[in-house]
Amino acid sequence: MRPPSAWPRHVIMIVVSILMLIPFYWVLKTSLTGENIYAYPPRLIPADPHLFNYVDVWYLIPFPRYLLNSVIVSAMAIAGSLLFNVAAGYALTKDFPARRWIVLLLLSCMLIPFQATIIPAYLITSWLGVLDSWLGIALPLLSTIICIFIFKASFEAVPRSLIDAARVDGLSEWRIVVRILLPLSKSAIATNVILTFIWSWNAFLWPLIVTRTPEMQTLPLGLARFLSVMEDTTGALYAFVVLVLIPGLAIFLMAQKEFIRGLTSGATKG
Amino acid sequence: MSWRVLHHRFVVVPLALVALVAAWNLYIAFNDHGILEGQVRDRAGAPVAGATVIFFERNAIYFQEKVRTTTDAKGDFRFTGLQHHVGQLEAVTDDGRRSDRRQVRLWFRAQDTEVAPLIVERRS
Repeated sequence: MRPPSAWPRHVIMIVVSILMLIPFYWVLKTSLTGENIYAYPPRLIPADPHLFNYVDVWYLIPFPRYLLNSVIVSAMAIAGSLLFNVAAGYALTKDFPARRWIVLLLLSCMLIPFQATIIPAYLITSWLGVLDSWLGIALPLLSTIICIFIFKASFEAVPRSLIDAARVDGLSEWRIVVRILLPLSKSAIATNVILTFIWSWNAFLWPLIVTRTPEMQTLPLGLARFLSVMEDTTGALYAFVVLVLIPGLAIFLMAQKEFIRGLTSGATKG
Repeated sequence: MSWRVLHHRFVVVPLALVALVAAWNLYIAFNDHGILEGQVRDRAGAPVAGATVIFFERNAIYFQEKVRTTTDAKGDFRFTGLQHHVGQLEAVTDDGRRSDRRQVRLWFRAQDTEVAPLIVERRS
């Protein structure tokens, strides 16, 4: 019996993909033309496209400063989350009293929305003296429970005998993590990096609360400010959106394979 | 550290972006004197000497006059030290002829640019 042709499935997937990509295409097209997005009938092919809207964005608002803030905050969040999530994930693979309760506590904390904890988070940040700073903006993302469990699942997938052999060879706990576990957990690392990057890059509410000066604002805040001060700038506004999207898309495309693998691993073994 | 790590896409892509940005900034550094030049002609294509050329800068809402200059005997004009990336140009002669307002959009602030000739004609 002949296997069923793959063409119908591919055609359906192509059509669905096109439907999913249409909003992105529309944003890109509007950024290149500046035409009214409510124009009827809608024009699919951009008329007289140009890149000058991107130049406008660069100069009309302090875009380089916002970009720098976003990049530094994201880098700090990624570095901090890797350090703390790896440490916490490794600790949760150990047997110790109340481990089960700690896991339950962490899981239950995942149910609490961030908005509900924002006042204590603000008070702690203020107490640490890092309000209106890069560290203050990155602080809530320095450790995330989801990523702790992703690392825990990934570390638990490593054969116990390998860790025991490393211990017999005299490796300390940190060296076991760095030399044995992390090289075998690239998917978890990629997932942690991408998730933390997306969360910190798109964060709006926390940076809005914790920053006090325009110089410390990040790109999403810049977008809101851009909307509030400019008029009739459809093209520039959409160009701004594209510029905000590009770094996240680039990182996702670079680490797509590891990202999907890491999420799947976390889903099946967590 | 193995040199193979340099071939990883997480290294290659950021390095390529950094190189691109550096090259672009180098180009800007050599071409950002704020020179804007061109020529004023009449409908027959003859250069117009003594025409006033006005540069309008854009603020948040509208365009307002920033600076003006006069064409030389060959009809050429030249602005220097402009710190804009967008503006408008218009030429006016003493006998009442004027050109269309030409939109000038540049790739970066103070880019050295030569614009197409401004054509002056009598308008009703």
